[in-house]
Amino acid sequence: MPSRISTSAIVLEAVIVVAAAAMFAFAANALSPHGLKLARDYFPRSASPVISTAQVSQPAATNAAATTEDSEAAEISRRIKDKGLQPIDRAQTERLFHDPRYLQGLVVFIDARDDAHYAEGHIPGAYPLDRYHPEKDLADDLTRCQSADLVVVYCTGGDCEDADYTALLLRDAGVPIQKLSVYGGGFDEWSASHLPLEQGVRGSGLAPVESK
Amino acid sequence: MSQLSAKAIDFPTVVARWSLGALFVYTGLEKGLDPVSFLKLVRQYDMVQTPFLLNSIAATLPWFEVFCGALLLAGIAVRGTALTLTGVLIPFTGVVWHRALILQGAKAIPFCAVKFDCGCGMGEEFICRKLLENAGLILLAFWLLAGRGRILALRYSLSAGD
Repeated sequence: MPSRISTSAIVLEAVIVVAAAAMFAFAANALSPHGLKLARDYFPRSASPVISTAQVSQPAATNAAATTEDSEAAEISRRIKDKGLQPIDRAQTERLFHDPRYLQGLVVFIDARDDAHYAEGHIPGAYPLDRYHPEKDLADDLTRCQSADLVVVYCTGGDCEDADYTALLLRDAGVPIQKLSVYGGGFDEWSASHLPLEQGVRGSGLAPVESK
Repeated sequence: MSQLSAKAIDFPTVVARWSLGALFVYTGLEKGLDPVSFLKLVRQYDMVQTPFLLNSIAATLPWFEVFCGALLLAGIAVRGTALTLTGVLIPFTGVVWHRALILQGAKAIPFCAVKFDCGCGMGEEFICRKLLENAGLILLAFWLLAGRGRILALRYSLSAGD
């Protein structure tokens, strides 16, 4: 049977529920291994929207009639440049992957996705760096990046901005911005192009590449 | 006999309470266990610029939902919880609607063809379906607010006189 409890009593009950739920929520976030750091700025604005010196040659535009794919790529490229970073495309990334300096550690690839996605597959030789939980890998990756000539950062590609922000994280940690490039097409484009992949931990060997 | 019929009338409301509670626990856990993805989804609304506020919403809202869902499942402070969820659902539905209008304008497609992940914990959905779902949830919450669904409740009201 419906109660005749007053409206004010229901509102008071709601206030108690909100207070208890808020306390529970903050505690759950603090205790969760996936919890967010509330004070951290996960999406910092770029201080200087200046494009780095071109260490990687840009291909000349060959087709005036831009396809949808081209306009998406252009949009991604513009987004990366707006953050003061150097975008590179798949062909440039592939060249750097086959560059002898890659094996010498002078070209470093950084995978900015989370551990689970990294384990599922990544560009062979790439180092993981999850910017949301950088404590695990940042120190080691920083040393590698500082001694490298060029650092390529990628994430999923498309709308994913984690590579952009990881590059900014590395910049803020001391890696010269001129060294940093962002592969905008990201892992989705790389894997869709049937390029070499590695699964599990770094150095675990090439994964089978699906035939075209 | 009259008590039996009252319980029979009450039972659908209890099922509604359990359904609403289970849904909030499920969607809250989906988001709470992957707060980074939820953070990115909250950011897409572009309504909060302060990092602390943005992080706080993304970090706590899912667990807030889990807590409220658990209260409904257990039957504790049912009307207060229903009022709280109504207070969350109505503005959130408005925000989702607003975001859909922006996407509709950007893509130049019919409103109901707009499909995106609103951060509701159910992945990508067509907007009209999402709005109908939310309307249903709001109605369920109002139903609970009306004071039914008190059988199988641990402590239906926190008020001593109720």
